[in-house]
Amino acid sequence: MSEEYIEAIRKKFGNLILDETVSNNETYLTIKKDDAVHICDYLYHTLRSALLSMFATDERARDGCFKIHYVFSCKGDAFIIIQIKIEENLPKFTTLTHKIPSANWYEREIQDMFGLVPVGHPDPRRLIHFEDWPAGLYPLRKDFDIRTKPERVKGEYIYRRVEGEGVYEIPVGPVHAGVIEPGHFRFSVAGEPILNLEIRLFYTHKGVEKLFETMSIDKAVFLAERVSGDNSAAHAVAFCQAVEKLAGIDIPPRAKYIRTILLELERIYNHLGDIAGIATDVAYPFGAAHANRSKELMMQLNEKLTGSRLLRGMNAIGGVRRDIGDKKEMISKELDSLQKDFRELMELLVSSPSVADRIETTGRISTEIAKGLHVVGPVGRASGIDSDIRRDHPYAAYPKLEFKVPVSKEGDVNARTNVRADEVYESITLIRQALSRLHEGEIRKDSGKIPDGCALGYTESPRGETFYWVHISNGRIERCKVRDPSFCNWLAIEYAVLDNIVPDFPIINKSLSLSYSGNDM
Amino acid sequence: MFDILIKTLKTGTVTTKYPKKPDIAPQGFRGMPELIPDKCTFCGECAKSCPPGVICLIENGQEKSLTLSICGCIFCGMCEEVCPVGAIRLTQEYELASKTKDELLTIIRRTA
Repeated sequence: MSEEYIEAIRKKFGNLILDETVSNNETYLTIKKDDAVHICDYLYHTLRSALLSMFATDERARDGCFKIHYVFSCKGDAFIIIQIKIEENLPKFTTLTHKIPSANWYEREIQDMFGLVPVGHPDPRRLIHFEDWPAGLYPLRKDFDIRTKPERVKGEYIYRRVEGEGVYEIPVGPVHAGVIEPGHFRFSVAGEPILNLEIRLFYTHKGVEKLFETMSIDKAVFLAERVSGDNSAAHAVAFCQAVEKLAGIDIPPRAKYIRTILLELERIYNHLGDIAGIATDVAYPFGAAHANRSKELMMQLNEKLTGSRLLRGMNAIGGVRRDIGDKKEMISKELDSLQKDFRELMELLVSSPSVADRIETTGRISTEIAKGLHVVGPVGRASGIDSDIRRDHPYAAYPKLEFKVPVSKEGDVNARTNVRADEVYESITLIRQALSRLHEGEIRKDSGKIPDGCALGYTESPRGETFYWVHISNGRIERCKVRDPSFCNWLAIEYAVLDNIVPDFPIINKSLSLSYSGNDM
Repeated sequence: MFDILIKTLKTGTVTTKYPKKPDIAPQGFRGMPELIPDKCTFCGECAKSCPPGVICLIENGQEKSLTLSICGCIFCGMCEEVCPVGAIRLTQEYELASKTKDELLTIIRRTA
């Protein structure tokens, strides 16, 4: 547990800890604002805890201040959450980005949404707000009305410039060919090789976190489900688990297994879609057609099981809404044929020289970069980061199931494809195990009245770790912080494309499988 | 090369002649919600439970009306779950494209 970490912090910084509370596997340490950087640096570099999320809350009504929370992961399924208080009349805190590079976007997000300034941040530009958003309006502050329609103002966003003889800029997007989401990519190139890429996202801001605060807990499950369309189950389960944890609801075992099956079904169809996308982008339409066909069969299975191709409407606080246990045979038959089909497809894919030529050594992300940016999910695992929430912080039925976590060191498109393929096989095994152990019994417990409190909920979505931090007060959602894996992984693309040629960008992008909507709520 | 041909021949044609040949959604599909006016008691439970708020109960003097707009429906099935008399249910219907929003609106009325 986190005891040894807390002990180490107490020993070194004992006098700096103002308050300490423990709830479930989360330890909240309140410290003085000026000491945050030291303690976080110590946790990160000495105790090797990863920074999982960082967010602010507006607690002026209760405590007369804002708070910033730094969530760290500890070995042995525990979390340490460092909290600092920030006075309204001095809305500043010292940046952590110099010590922990993955704090970069979190701090800029806090600056835009709460108006708390990270002093000394290496890139203090706006992240979420555009230049036409008026200064001094911070949407996640409690005194900001959700119906506000701000005036547009004039402003300018300054891009990084790469200058030199023969250096050209290629601006791409935010509107793209094909039905994908919006994002702006600005390449600086000398001939074909890419010298620099700057991404600009956040064209899909919907105010989801603010919207959570207006919804009842039951209905919020459906909002969580829609944060990132193809990761519906992972988001819904993460939200439900956060609420169940703070309310102390232990859901029935059968519901745990059903949730696990849903999460793995989601992983399978997502990975099949990603492999199809990679095959398309390397001009191997045969592979793409077959991967897409398999994906379609899996989505039809989803539909037969849950009534929704995207596995929606299944989760609720306290368990699941529909039993799928009577369809065991159908599931195992589908999985048998998928496994055979997928194996044949992967054999053809890896033995094709034209595919190998395009994906080997392409879009490499070194382990060092991946660690620094806290790259998560299959992308992180393909770059040598051996981490998986299902194993490190087990939830649902995962503690009772056996599975391997595929890891590769190469960090190229090939490694990411192979890690995903291996995960498909693992998911098939997991579903088989879950089906064989599905207990008889109820699938949902009455949640009763949800008490006040806060808790973390998390799942390993097909893209990587998904975190929800939910704070309930008087039966209402006071704050719901969503951290989608894409928020961590997007910056990796700026490094992955370096020294690659422009025509390889689509493959690299696809192999990272990034969500625009999940990233920008 | 032969492997690819074999796989292609083995798979055959998987696409169907939709819409010529209808594609019927499976049992339990979460499709268009349907109101059954005879059963409805106008209690308003469905309206309260609807996450996007597309079901409204309006009381106008003696007349009660229940409106359901499929435009914003997320097909979650909460209405079906809470209805005490089974007066609303999700159907297998999914071909819902329409030129006007009015076509996607169902209204039932009852005068006391």
